[in-house]
Amino acid sequence: MKKVKNALITFGVIFFSLFFSTELMAQKQVDDLKKEQDTIKENVSTIRDKISGFEERLATAEGDLAKLTKIKLSGYIQAQWQNSEAANIYPNNMFMIRRARVKFTYEPVQGIVFVIQPDFQPGNITVKDAYAVANEPWLKTFSLWAGKFNRPNYEVEYSSSNREVPERSRVIRAIYPDERATGAKLEIAPPQLPLKIQLALFNGNDGLTITDVNGSNINPVNNDFDNHKDFMGRVTYAFKLGSVGGLTIGAHGYYGAIKANTTDVLNSDYTYNKTLDNIGKLIRKNWVGFEAQLYFDVLGGLALKGEYIFGINGTPGYSSKTSVVSPMTSSLKNDTLTLTTLTTNTINNRPAIERNFNGYYVYLIKNIGKRNQIAIRYDYYDPNSKLASDQIGIAKWDAGIAAKTDNNYTYAGTDPVIATNTQTKTVVNNSLKSGTSDIKYQTITLAYTYFFDDNIKFMLAYEIPMNKKVGVNSTGVGNVTSTYTKNGEPGIFDYSDVIKQNVLTLRMQVKF
Amino acid sequence: MKKSNKTLRFAAIIAIALIGFAFMPAPKKITVKGSDTMVILAQKWAEVYMKSHPTAVIQVTGGGSGVGISALINGATDICNASRPMKQSEMDKLKERYASLGIEIPCAKDGITIFLNESNPVKELTLKQLSNIFSGKTRNWKEVGGPDADIKLYGRENSSGTYVFFKENVVKTDYAASCQTLPGTAAVVNAVSKDKFGIGYGGAAYASGVKHCGVKKDDKSTAYMATAETIKSGQYPISRYLYMYLRNRPTGEIKAYIDWILGPEGQKLVTEIGYFPVK
Repeated sequence: MKKVKNALITFGVIFFSLFFSTELMAQKQVDDLKKEQDTIKENVSTIRDKISGFEERLATAEGDLAKLTKIKLSGYIQAQWQNSEAANIYPNNMFMIRRARVKFTYEPVQGIVFVIQPDFQPGNITVKDAYAVANEPWLKTFSLWAGKFNRPNYEVEYSSSNREVPERSRVIRAIYPDERATGAKLEIAPPQLPLKIQLALFNGNDGLTITDVNGSNINPVNNDFDNHKDFMGRVTYAFKLGSVGGLTIGAHGYYGAIKANTTDVLNSDYTYNKTLDNIGKLIRKNWVGFEAQLYFDVLGGLALKGEYIFGINGTPGYSSKTSVVSPMTSSLKNDTLTLTTLTTNTINNRPAIERNFNGYYVYLIKNIGKRNQIAIRYDYYDPNSKLASDQIGIAKWDAGIAAKTDNNYTYAGTDPVIATNTQTKTVVNNSLKSGTSDIKYQTITLAYTYFFDDNIKFMLAYEIPMNKKVGVNSTGVGNVTSTYTKNGEPGIFDYSDVIKQNVLTLRMQVKF
Repeated sequence: MKKSNKTLRFAAIIAIALIGFAFMPAPKKITVKGSDTMVILAQKWAEVYMKSHPTAVIQVTGGGSGVGISALINGATDICNASRPMKQSEMDKLKERYASLGIEIPCAKDGITIFLNESNPVKELTLKQLSNIFSGKTRNWKEVGGPDADIKLYGRENSSGTYVFFKENVVKTDYAASCQTLPGTAAVVNAVSKDKFGIGYGGAAYASGVKHCGVKKDDKSTAYMATAETIKSGQYPISRYLYMYLRNRPTGEIKAYIDWILGPEGQKLVTEIGYFPVK
């Protein structure tokens, strides 16, 4: 019985020991699991925090990236080798960078655009475009431009990166120097109509070279030269010619003026026109142009483009006065001593002139396959349509005014009498003679372009400018000549013949 | 001597044959790129055409109308599919590069369908309501006769012609920032089918697993669903042409392919896919 009792006690002890140890182990496992759970919770919390952090950083990065997508970068480089036949150019063959432009476009909100386009040249960076555009969001028809941008004209607005020949036509280069102007423009382009109207107001003197008596440019930084603002307008309308092509027609006009810078104004044929009240008065710059671009599908693209422009283009003159005081002279007569001072005023005037001009260009462009393009352009520019070729170089107007002398006497003292005599002599040189700036030019340009891919193209072009032969005098020598110096040797261009000045260009362009 | 003559003759025949093989025109591959809306239709056209014209090789890819037009301009594709007309700026680029205005060929008609989740009680919306919804002015279904729940917007990426067409003709302002952009109408349909409060738009050919919403010009008009009749008659307010664009007038293999597309066989496939023929 006792044995049974002992066995039961032993069993009880073992059982309870085992039970409690199991319980303890289970408890420990639970505790361990809880700890593990806590650790996992902590880790999850840490990871969640990290993810939140990443999300926040991602949101910031996305925000920054979104800002960056509002900036667009484009540009092109034109590197070329040119060989010129002109006698005054040395070196006459050279490699050069014609364009190295990067265009930054920033559109912070839809419809508002900022553009800045510098041109990088070795040793020189210039800002070609800098403007802002606000597009109205309701009708999507009107946009307002302000800053420096292309003047509204077909050939001006047609980027040289797309142009089929190396340079713009002579008439365009003459009336729209540097292509850009500073001002404001309203563009009207209803989305449902192939109509575009551009109305612009510019300072009007961008890119113009205005010389003083020494031949220095007094308009070098293109700040405004006068208070007058020039108006430009252009309208174009595009027709579809069924499935075979399209025709765009348009017209543009320039209504402007420029400070005469002198009081004498000449007509286009160099005859005297009028005398202005003062040198701040204005001379006219008014012209109109008519344009058309025809696109036709004849075994690939074919385009015929042209424009005719005519009007009046004023060129300011100058007025310069220099005074020289001669030493005093004395003379004695009838107890009167006369002391005389002579002041000689020399006035050098170059009269302003309003030239009638006209010019046009015609392009014929043919694309052959996807990669080849040939282009022929004929352009003509007559800077003075009122002057026949045999009249150029003949002085029609030379208003040199004869020297005149004024005497002014003053008397000083009573006895002996001294008279002070101030003499003023004025000499006016007023002359302008027709010459090289009145000569007509016609230019033929031939070009072949190979499009290597979407970004790279090669152009081989030959430009043949031909001046109109102008007046020959009785001795058989041309009335119009210009001089140059090449390698220290003087030379002369005689415009009674065609001056050789053809240019061969081999250009590579990379656009991005 | 005789043997060498024979050898020479044999060599000459081989040489002529080799030269002949070298100059034999390789089958020209036609590349088609552009509208995602049209990609199924374009693939079907290509597949059926290649079966009946074993020498033809046609490669079709999507990417969106804008991408297709860019590819046409940079010479990377022969045919561009576009679910919107070419913009003036794009036409200008074509003029500058190829002295051509491009050739526009309407090849099918489509009604942009408004997709709703099948559980959504809303049955019709006016153009004004759609504009407000997709521009973010209307944000709750309650405002247009639905449940009190936020509207979830699904649309296309900005390279898509459908995106541009819907924006210009329906939204008429910017899309709401909350509009989730998806690559292709199929993705829009899929998203709306899974989202009780979703709304999306896209080509009619893709609408399965979702509900079509009737569209009214205004409050007083009748609501129309995009069907062959309503699109043909002009009653359905959001219909458009689907286009193919080429740089120049087609010739050779490309002309044959386009003629086939515009012919009875090609137009039959238009109907089969779920769009509407142009003739």
